[in-house]
Amino acid sequence: MKKGLIIAAALAMAPTLATAASFQEAFESNRAMHGNDHVFEWKGGKYHTNHEEEMEARVKATKANAADLLAKAKAKNAEVAKLGFEWKLTGGILKDAQKAIDEGDYQKALNLAAQAKYHARIGIQQYHYAQKNWHLSVPE
Amino acid sequence: MKIIKTLALGLTVAAATQMTHAADTGFDMQTVDPEADRIALQKYFKSRFPESDIADYVNGIYAVDAGSREQWEELEEFPPYEFDVEQGEELFNTAFANGKGYADCFENGGIGIRQNFPYWSKEEGTVKTLEQEINECRVNNGEEPLKWGKGAIAQISAYMAWTSRDKVFDIKIPADDERAKAAYLDGKKFFYAKRGQLNLSCANCHVQGSNIAIRADLPSPQLGHVTHFPVFRSKWGSLGTLHRRYSGCHKDSRSKPLKPQAEEFRNLEYFQSYMSNGLVANGPGSRK
Ligand code: HEC
Repeated sequence: MKKGLIIAAALAMAPTLATAASFQEAFESNRAMHGNDHVFEWKGGKYHTNHEEEMEARVKATKANAADLLAKAKAKNAEVAKLGFEWKLTGGILKDAQKAIDEGDYQKALNLAAQAKYHARIGIQQYHYAQKNWHLSVPE
Repeated sequence: MKIIKTLALGLTVAAATQMTHAADTGFDMQTVDPEADRIALQKYFKSRFPESDIADYVNGIYAVDAGSREQWEELEEFPPYEFDVEQGEELFNTAFANGKGYADCFENGGIGIRQNFPYWSKEEGTVKTLEQEINECRVNNGEEPLKWGKGAIAQISAYMAWTSRDKVFDIKIPADDERAKAAYLDGKKFFYAKRGQLNLSCANCHVQGSNIAIRADLPSPQLGHVTHFPVFRSKWGSLGTLHRRYSGCHKDSRSKPLKPQAEEFRNLEYFQSYMSNGLVANGPGSRK
């Protein structure tokens, strides 16, 4: 299977919300039905159901690669924390990733760092979504 | 290998929990109108739970769920916070090392004033909460500040609430200071913004989701949310402040809580308390 066709995030951030939402819907329903590593078609293009972080974790499991992804994850989490939208478990996952590096389990560290970075990225999306849409649930 | 589980309800699914009749104004400094918000919220709950009296919303979930009310009424026969109120009174009346006391820091000697908190301080340009001023009183008199969530600070707050029972909430948003309105708007926005891994806003649980089972719990209506704080929760086995509760609710949506008394939390309290205007102070309270 061909991997790395496109990254969901790129479109999720697209300016026209309608398009982004429908791609996201397609992405999410395919992801929910088929899990990762599935290819689906959307508006004539082919896309896979992997999150960008899952692709980032598919590198050689070395100490340097693990440390690199962990640093990126930490930076992303600092970014979302600054916006006030940090998720509850991310801090613990980052710690576990460091522990895995210390114990020499680099694949585990890569996976955990990827997960933490994903949390942070979606938290940032959530922040931007909230800026535009928070009023949608205010009673009339 | 699947290393990311998509637990978030998904940003797109968000639409499902939106209002069918959402307000179309009041989201910016030009149009925000606290009084209109308060009336709209009452109207919303009146049509949602026609059987419940607005005045009864000070009793939280028990105002709308007859099933759990009976148990709670039994609990209130021997209120679990009684000891805390006594302790609070004693602490309140114990002089600091410099001979001064809490009564010196507050209007009317600190008695019967709970319903005026939080308030907008023009001098400091920020929202001030009761707990914040309890600690400031200590620090200004050379004492160490207390921990925010529970213990002595909650007991002192409980005693002060106790002396204010049946006083009507009267939170003001001074018209001569735009920053007060901005703080209110900030709190309102906080309340309605989705956050955390479960992608839920306070409103998803406490407006649309009120009295709808979320796991094993029934979230209370946001109307009247603050009137009975601090609260003795059976689940905590102790008394806790409003910001302790905020922290717990953040965790329920898998969002990392801010620090107690953070500006955002104080603004949130300002918004929530304004929504309770017209209702009576009935703290401390007890909850499951
Ligand atoms: C996942 C659903 C959920 C979310 C999201 C949530 N809460 Fe809660 N909250 C609950 C439940 C359940 C309780 C306990 C039952 C109740 O409401 O008394 C509760 C209790 C409370 C109480 C105490 C009510 C009382 O009568 O003692 C307050 C105040 C409160 N929440 C405020 C908030 C605020 C503010 C937010 C947003 C930051 C929030 N909640 C988010 C579910 C939630």
